[in-house]
Amino acid sequence: MERGADARDDGALLEAIGDGDREAFRVLYERHAPWMLLRLRRRCADPNVVEETVQDVFVAVWRRPGAYRGTGDVAAWMWGIAIRRLVDRMRWGARRAIAPARLGRSQPVLSAEEQVLLGVEHGDLAGALNRLSPELRAVLEATVLDGLTTREAARLLGIPQGTVKTRLMRAREQLREELA
Amino acid sequence: MSWHGDPALMETYALGILDEVHSSSIEAHLLRCERCREAIARHVGRDRIEGMWAAIEERLDIAPQGMVERLLGRLGMPDHVARLLAATPSLRLSWFGAVAIALAFATVAARAGSVGVLQFLVVAPLIPLAGIAVAYGPRVDPTYEVGLAAPMRSFRLLMIRALAVLITSMALVGIAAIALPHLDWTAAAWLLPSIALSLGNLALSSYWSPQRATVGLVAAWTLAVVLGERFSSVPYAAFRAAPQAAFAMIAVASIVVLARRREAFDTRRGR
Repeated sequence: MERGADARDDGALLEAIGDGDREAFRVLYERHAPWMLLRLRRRCADPNVVEETVQDVFVAVWRRPGAYRGTGDVAAWMWGIAIRRLVDRMRWGARRAIAPARLGRSQPVLSAEEQVLLGVEHGDLAGALNRLSPELRAVLEATVLDGLTTREAARLLGIPQGTVKTRLMRAREQLREELA
Repeated sequence: MSWHGDPALMETYALGILDEVHSSSIEAHLLRCERCREAIARHVGRDRIEGMWAAIEERLDIAPQGMVERLLGRLGMPDHVARLLAATPSLRLSWFGAVAIALAFATVAARAGSVGVLQFLVVAPLIPLAGIAVAYGPRVDPTYEVGLAAPMRSFRLLMIRALAVLITSMALVGIAAIALPHLDWTAAAWLLPSIALSLGNLALSSYWSPQRATVGLVAAWTLAVVLGERFSSVPYAAFRAAPQAAFAMIAVASIVVLARRREAFDTRRGR
């Protein structure tokens, strides 16, 4: 497989893509398409929409690799494109995935990540997050994890913007109460 | 990186059966960790990856959308219609520029006197006519062959384009007409002739080539106005009530002809 054979980092690949290097483009694709596909799949039930969104992202990257400003992770930059493209595509009638059943409760623990909210420990936060209703969690995920505006989140989830705001407030209140 | 998701957890995530909170945590981690991205990639089928890649390559080989096309797309028009419409020669910026310049001259001339107003009235209906003449056909349309091969009837394509051209060019003429010296009936006298000439052109195109139909109509129109001025006692004779009624009838007759002879546009190839 191409991956691993190429030692260039993502930023260097983007530069090469700017010069029309399809090889570099392919390497970037191999590195980033899989996780993007999996992550989008959790936000949209329609596999066709998910695959088309991944295509959208890479077509956009090929056309304008210079849009990456050279700061931060390339993966994060690409996810920013991906989630917005998904929002655009969701307008055409796809539905959000029904929250997967809460399996794997007894999974091994993950250590803390940079974001406090996402730093899931066995402690209060994981439990508190898990106790949120799926609707509240979905809103929290779209805004905090995916960095969408309330308007974009509304489109992604197929609910009014006002509902996003109230649910976000309720989620915050609930978390605050539980963690206090 | 101090921490990496363990393989079993990664697998449950990839299968979509991990609970949401842990999934979110993995996703946040994946953005920053190349090693885990590589690990998770093993859980995605090669056929999906290859399938998407093929689709991406296909899309890269298609020309990117232009401004008009994107705009039409946003207005809810299907991609293929937007592309065929955006390829219309007389819906391009260069065309609009040429029309604007021609109209500017005509308007300036009109402000110089009544002969100028007449000139404006002669030129105004010719603008949508010319636009439609170069909207479709083997000589002017770079996508003509594509259009013939497209799963859409040539007639429908022609109608879509003609309507778009008619609306845009008449809007431009309308703006110019506001700048005429007298905002009386003469400022609107070009409307019916415009529609009649445009539709007449389409109807004649079912018999002749679009170019021939256009040349014939331009000649007939100019002659009619000149003769009207010469042999009538009132000014703007060709734009008075009786001729206007005639233009309306020409428009209606053209629609009837078009409806009857629509097949002619679909069967004609490579003229």
